Amino acid sequence: MRISIGDELPPFVLPVTTTVIVSGAIASRDFMPAHHDPDFARAQGAPHMFMNILTTNGYVARYVTDWAGPEALLRNIKIRLGAPAIPGKPLHFSGRVEKVGEDRDERVIEVSVRAANDLGDHATGTVELGLPLAGSDR
Amino acid sequence: MAECDAVRESLEKYVGKPMGPPSVAPDPVNVPMIRHWVDAIDDRNPVYLDEAFAKTTRHGGIVAPPAMLQAWSMARPKIEGIAERGGAAMEITHDNPISALNAAGFTGTLATNSELEFVRYLRPGDHLSTTNEVESISPRKTTGLGQGYFVTWVTSYKAGGEVVGRQRFRVFKFDPRTIDPSRLGSAR
Repeated sequence: MRISIGDELPPFVLPVTTTVIVSGAIASRDFMPAHHDPDFARAQGAPHMFMNILTTNGYVARYVTDWAGPEALLRNIKIRLGAPAIPGKPLHFSGRVEKVGEDRDERVIEVSVRAANDLGDHATGTVELGLPLAGSDR
Repeated sequence: MAECDAVRESLEKYVGKPMGPPSVAPDPVNVPMIRHWVDAIDDRNPVYLDEAFAKTTRHGGIVAPPAMLQAWSMARPKIEGIAERGGAAMEITHDNPISALNAAGFTGTLATNSELEFVRYLRPGDHLSTTNEVESISPRKTTGLGQGYFVTWVTSYKAGGEVVGRQRFRVFKFDPRTIDPSRLGSAR
């Protein structure tokens, strides 16, 4: 896969439902009621029950590795959190290659990622990953 | 503006100290929990479950999804009373900046940043332990969520004595009584 600065990742839309939020919360063993109980979440001032951060990180990682492939090794995921991800508001993922370099026999790529809904940016940040150098430009 | 802030001064003692006690993950990294995660996130990267395929890659075998790092170390919850504890999995008894800020009226919490660093991917059998440290506490800030403090801590994840990952986490602890409705929106 040829990767250059400025490449855009294919867009991805996640239809955020109650089930998506609850599944992620329980798979990440996060039992905080704000992630499964709409009444609790609203009493805390949130517009609805909302996705937990572990799930957001999981989708950001998936978004990048769906593009980069199974040889990718993620080095870091750095996100800033904004608007909540709540049922009925699809999350739109977009990404762009910001840096391409080499380190420790790997090609190192930094991708900027944005996941937004109609409330604003849910998560913005960067993911750094390595791909094997050999054959990486096939 | 260098005005005296007694609350902030009372927090200084926490900087550089543990956020909470060290912990050991309830279970080692294991395939059933990986499968549960992969299905929940609908992540079909074959290196997480397909041993035969994973062996053909540089991973050399099944690895855990890196974003699961924090999930392995989540405390076992006591479900009864979890809402009354504000969502805390267990009763928080240790003294840290979050409990101190709650006591001072800064009861609101908004997570603002997460930085996960992966030193190496985890494999089934790796058993995580964690330590954490308060990295910084900001001066009092006024934001769209009122007045409060940004508290940042770093969790180190170890397996077999080596650090395998880190997470830097930042929350804004705010006093809901200081929210200015005309600025309601964000902690920026």
